[in-house]
Amino acid sequence: MTQTDDKPAVQIASLNKWYGAFHVLKEVNLTIPSGSRVVICGPSGSGKSTLIRCLNGLEAYQQGTVTLGTIELGANARETVLARRQTGMVFQSFNLFPHLTVLSNCTLALRRVLRMPRNEAESLARHFLEKVRIPEQATKYPAQLSGGQQQRVAIARALCMNPRLMLFDEPTSALDPEMVKEVLDVMTGLAHEGMTMICVTHEMGFAREVADQVVFMDQGSIVEQASPVAFFSTPNHPRARSFLNTLLH
Amino acid sequence: MSVLEIWLGILQGFRVTALVTLYGLVFAIPFGLIFGVAQHLTTGPARFVVTSVIEFWRSSAVIILLFVFYYALPLAGLALSAMTVSAMVLGLNIGGYASQAVRAGLQALDRGQKEAGHALGLSRSTILLRIELPQALVAMSPTFINQLIQLVKATSLVSLVTLTDMTFRAKEISQIEYDPVPIYTSLLLAYFIVCYPVALFGRWVERRINPAREARRAV
Ligand SMILES: Nc1ncnc2c1ncn2[C@@H]1O[C@H](COP(=O)(O)OP(=O)(O)OP(=O)(O)O)[C@@H](O)[C@H]1O
Ligand SMILES: [Mg+2]
Repeated sequence: MTQTDDKPAVQIASLNKWYGAFHVLKEVNLTIPSGSRVVICGPSGSGKSTLIRCLNGLEAYQQGTVTLGTIELGANARETVLARRQTGMVFQSFNLFPHLTVLSNCTLALRRVLRMPRNEAESLARHFLEKVRIPEQATKYPAQLSGGQQQRVAIARALCMNPRLMLFDEPTSALDPEMVKEVLDVMTGLAHEGMTMICVTHEMGFAREVADQVVFMDQGSIVEQASPVAFFSTPNHPRARSFLNTLLH
Repeated sequence: MSVLEIWLGILQGFRVTALVTLYGLVFAIPFGLIFGVAQHLTTGPARFVVTSVIEFWRSSAVIILLFVFYYALPLAGLALSAMTVSAMVLGLNIGGYASQAVRAGLQALDRGQKEAGHALGLSRSTILLRIELPQALVAMSPTFINQLIQLVKATSLVSLVTLTDMTFRAKEISQIEYDPVPIYTSLLLAYFIVCYPVALFGRWVERRINPAREARRAV
């Protein structure tokens, strides 16, 4: 996505998606300015994962448009591939490639997609492994790392492709409590560097500190969208209020 | 005839047994890979065609296919050598089984592997070659070794289309000697001596090509 300052990083317009007869995303509209951080929260099954998976082509949708920078997804195959390549994604279950070392996990796309020479790709990968604070694990296999370390590798792997936008789908939900912080710290660091980020997370401390918008979803719709301060102090929607209550207790 | 002479007699057939196995693999490996992957990737009518070809080779009786291809095809003007027919029939039969292991290995992978590949911008073919197949083939390697052993044993059928393999030699010797017990016991041992190292080799391969799993075990 070639970015001009007046173009938002992400523009979702009248997005509708069905699984068979089940209307999973209902008339979703969302604009995300370049450099901003959006936290999406909501009860289980509300469509959070489905929504962010629509932003990088992992899910198809039946109505509406998703525009990343200047590229409307699906309008032009070559541009769609490019937009996708510039969108990094971090999954709840890490999804590292278990048969490849940490370093090879990070260099695979650099070499196969960008055709970067091996040593150039490796030094770039090492740079990002350092950034997520695990340079010493480069030659290990994912199974030899803790969950928190694996998730940081997944972040480094995505960053290697120099994304304009990072998507996170509950990146800390599969982690033991003591590892949540190390991952959130890396994400906070990214936010401070100005990365455009969309995070599905229930880490409300992170949302307060980092987000400039909180989006609350319920039953496939965005029912509330506010600054973190407003959302946490005076949620408007009754379902947002009861959701926050369950999180606090 | 001494036991040593029986052994030497049977060993004369070893070359043919080994050749049928090797040429059989030349058919089995590409067939198993291509059709297993094709079954994984195709849908609808294309998948039906792929599945039909696999099922033909997997579900037909090898012995009948040997006869049909060796004795009936020449009537249709297509004469293949006994070695070609044997390697093809045995190879594609085992390849049919192998294709199912390939497909099962691919389908057993977590869907997140493919998604992570897509999210990184990898092409479908790169995902297949660099992410899915390496994992599926490693996971299925014990099955492939089993199938290799089955192939070796199945070569004993080629004596029916005039190839002088170990089984054919044993039959010849027993027609001269009228003493089947030591002869067929020796033959039994001969197949074991060929197959057991294959099994050992299989275990070694498994350890070699699976550094991630070994590393996990070492932790
Ligand atoms: N492939 C699918 N086929 C049919 N229904 C699906 C499929 N994937 C998800 N759904 C349904 O769509 C709804 C939204 O799912 P989604 O995973 O987006 O929810 P979520 O908000 O991410 O929930 P969670 O917090 O549990 O991750 C759920 O009701 C789910 O059961
Ligand atoms: Mg989800």
